[in-house]
Amino acid sequence: MAKKESKKSLWKFGTREVVFAAIGAALYGVFAWATNVLQIPAAANVSIRPGVVIPMFFGVAFGPIVGFITGFLGNLLSDWFSGYGFWPWWDLGNGLMGLFPGLVANQMTTFRAAKDIILAEVMALVGIVVGMGVAAISEMWVSGMNFITAIAANFIPAFISNAINGLILLPIIMVAYSAIVKRSGR
Amino acid sequence: MKNPVPLVVRNLSFRYQRRSEYALRNVSFEVHPGRVILIAGSSGCGKTTLMRCINGLIPHTYHGEMEGVIKLFGKSTENMGMAELSCNVGTLLQDPERQIVSSYVQTEVAFALENQSLPREKILPRIDETLSRIGILHLRDRETFSLSGGEKQKVALAGILIARPRILLLDEPLASLDPVSAREALQLFRRLADEGFSVLIVEHRVDDVLAINPEEVLYMDRGHLLYCGDVRGLMKVVDYRSIKLPAEIVFKRARKDPIIQFKPILPRASRKQLLTFKNVNFRYGENTPQVLHDINLSVYPGDIIAILGPNGAGKTTLVKHTLGLLKPTSGQVLLGESDTQKCSVAQAAHIVGYVFQSPSQMLFADSVRQELSFGPRNLGMRPAEIVKNVEWAIKTVSLEEELETPPLALSFGQQKRISIAAVLAMRSRILMMDEPTAGQDYWNYTAFMDAILQMPGYEAVLFITHDIDLAIIYANRVLLVSDGRVIADGKPEKVLAEDDMLARSRVLPSSLLRLNQKYFHATGRYYRAETLAHRIYNDNN
Amino acid sequence: MLVPLTFRPHHTIIERFDPRARWIFSFLMMTAIVYYWDIRFLLFFFFISFTQYFLAHLTWKETRRGWTFIIILISMMVLINTIITSAGTIGAVTQGGHDVFIWNATVPWVGWNIHFGLTAERLWFGFTQIVRLLAITSMFLVLPFTMDPRLYGSTFSGMGLPARLAYSFDLAFRFIPTLARDFNVTMDAQKARGYEMDKVKGGLFSQVKKVAPLIIPVTMNAILSGEDIADAMDLRCFDTGKRTWIIKLTYRWYDYALMIFSGCVLISTLIINHGLNLGNFWMPDWFLGLFHNIK
Repeated sequence: MAKKESKKSLWKFGTREVVFAAIGAALYGVFAWATNVLQIPAAANVSIRPGVVIPMFFGVAFGPIVGFITGFLGNLLSDWFSGYGFWPWWDLGNGLMGLFPGLVANQMTTFRAAKDIILAEVMALVGIVVGMGVAAISEMWVSGMNFITAIAANFIPAFISNAINGLILLPIIMVAYSAIVKRSGR
Repeated sequence: MKNPVPLVVRNLSFRYQRRSEYALRNVSFEVHPGRVILIAGSSGCGKTTLMRCINGLIPHTYHGEMEGVIKLFGKSTENMGMAELSCNVGTLLQDPERQIVSSYVQTEVAFALENQSLPREKILPRIDETLSRIGILHLRDRETFSLSGGEKQKVALAGILIARPRILLLDEPLASLDPVSAREALQLFRRLADEGFSVLIVEHRVDDVLAINPEEVLYMDRGHLLYCGDVRGLMKVVDYRSIKLPAEIVFKRARKDPIIQFKPILPRASRKQLLTFKNVNFRYGENTPQVLHDINLSVYPGDIIAILGPNGAGKTTLVKHTLGLLKPTSGQVLLGESDTQKCSVAQAAHIVGYVFQSPSQMLFADSVRQELSFGPRNLGMRPAEIVKNVEWAIKTVSLEEELETPPLALSFGQQKRISIAAVLAMRSRILMMDEPTAGQDYWNYTAFMDAILQMPGYEAVLFITHDIDLAIIYANRVLLVSDGRVIADGKPEKVLAEDDMLARSRVLPSSLLRLNQKYFHATGRYYRAETLAHRIYNDNN
Repeated sequence: MLVPLTFRPHHTIIERFDPRARWIFSFLMMTAIVYYWDIRFLLFFFFISFTQYFLAHLTWKETRRGWTFIIILISMMVLINTIITSAGTIGAVTQGGHDVFIWNATVPWVGWNIHFGLTAERLWFGFTQIVRLLAITSMFLVLPFTMDPRLYGSTFSGMGLPARLAYSFDLAFRFIPTLARDFNVTMDAQKARGYEMDKVKGGLFSQVKKVAPLIIPVTMNAILSGEDIADAMDLRCFDTGKRTWIIKLTYRWYDYALMIFSGCVLISTLIINHGLNLGNFWMPDWFLGLFHNIK
């Protein structure tokens, strides 16, 4: 397999991006379905939501737009499969969680270099803070809670769960992906 | 210029960017209407690159250095856009699963015309017309996911034909089909050629394609076009070990070559039961149809069992029961003495090592060493024992030098070996493989099967396959499965001898089977064509 | 095999509406609801939402998970908001009010004083919050169960989304059953290697890492097939210009009626809220009276 065009714009949205945005969203939805519906037994007291790493990773690998759609559409689908209805402001928050790591997509070299991983992790963390922050603050507006409740009931649980799952799994997936990049670039 | 030649390729060379060697070197040929052209060659011969040059993926999607000329109906492709190209050339990719983009058949078929922004009123009748043309109008309102492999391929083909191309490129169209669907597909390709299409088929299963009498054959090797001409000429130039030729040809040519040494290392047959099915019935849920009916069988040490049958016959369901991945609705599956109802899958894995069809469905670790340690560690082996077993497993598949490489960075064939080694390292007593040869070309898969079956360390081997030749060459026992029942169980020369039995389980006799049946009176058992040649000729001389 | 697609047609009046009209309706209604803290107005929306819910003829089996989720979420939010952090976003509720329950305590040894006071206003606010949240969630809960996934691409394209973006929706639906099947296969393949998800040892890190053998193969496989799918789409002229969708949506009179209705509701809301300064937090007098009687 040949490496495709080397220089690409960060905000490009061509056929490949359409496909990977769709795949990312479907993966996020399916993983959430697997954890919620199939009830893959969760570890002790952390809610295992491995899906949250998908928008972050797709952002890092394929750019901010793909990251955003993966998070937005993926969360929409995962709520759907779990039968939770439609929560637009949380979809938006998840979208942002994919968008921020996507901003450093062009800085990636091998996907396993320490520099790549640190950069991706930092941006993923920013994405979680901003994304979950936006969702929690929207919740204040929609549900009429005060700031402290929004932080305590919405932001902190979402932040902890996403940060633990996302930040631990992101490097693992990046390293796995680096092997594929290496193979296709050969 | 009247009736220009559909496709002319002149002095075509191509090198992918960032690669030093050429993928294609100086390829020239012409294609005329109404013909089937077979492009044969083993993996890495450049046939995929050639197709990409013709259909425009090179240079539109893949970049590199291209020389030479390609003309479609007299016009150079150099300045053609994808829209114009796709009206001339239709491409069917190898795996229909990776070609279908829509959830429903109707929108799948409409895709190309939707993208060209034709008005809706014009598209709708063309969908029906195209579907009827290949005889699948009844599938129009189905979901693509629920289609069988053969149906998926026809739908994918309809999605290409709707743009009315005159040239069809088919990339290994038989790879994902069972023999009966493959025969149907080939007949369809022949019919399209007879209607005036130029049909180019890239395939290493040459034996099968010859059944529809291709007018011309191109034989490629390492980027060079070695042969271009009729079928008879091909038989003389090509190496019978690298692509699959009809058994009679191999039979004639192999007798002067050194004999192939093949001796599976298995314990001597005994009547101790390793695995037993007792009246097993299975259905997925209360309101779903029964998938397995009254299965009774036992696996003994020394068995090499081929499980043959069409897609959807229940082969995989059967095999999943041996591990307890599925539990019988009624009846019992016994591993040694213990019932799979009562033991976990992890416990069953001590006895049955199950290698899934596609290695990419299981490889995840950062190095081959970690990948191979995963199973043994899950089974609770001690560290020293794990190291010992990993070393042994990697040596058995001869990939010692890749121990520190990430498995995902390896080639498909190597990944396949790693997936076997990952199971071997668990030291299970029975090795079970689902479609072990899928996705590999002929040369690779014979080498692979020879190697696997000559490995020490297990007491019995089972494999699921569509390929009757694998059963003939490697198995000492064959199970024919049809509609969830085992309809025959015995030595290959017994089970495969009856044509009506084969027909019942949608297994097609191959040229190798015919050859073996012809000489059965002299040999008393089945062999691969090369060995048979030595038996017959050398014994007679 | 389990596949996570839940859509089955219910053949109800709700499904006869154009999906675009229903999305527009749902969003305008949500925007309107957010303006109100007056339960008298909120009950109007509550009524509309639940009318939609009952007209959709959803079964309990379909929505059980959704309701459980919504109820847990709402009670958690209301509980924390009303009792623990004892506040709302509305000034009238945070400041002053009529105490119904006061609890003072001193933490032993440290000597901190705890003052906890619950006012009638806060209780009523909590109740209003429940009504408001139920109105919003039940309105959106219905959508996934009553919209044909095959219409999503044309719906969003018809609402002005670029064709490429809209096609991502269709494509995502196409991948879901395939990926769910792949997930099941990988799960089986790893189980066959002795992998047991529920046997977790070690700390947090290794617990989370435990899912790697499942998600890595599925994700990497999906990425590899993505390359082929992109080729297949390029070969069929995707993204070369304007696009037709053969699934055609047409507005009918009742779609227009629905959209005009929701538009009117939003406009009246803006007038009521900004012009007339109505719709803010309101508590009936009898509610306060309840507590006086207790005292």
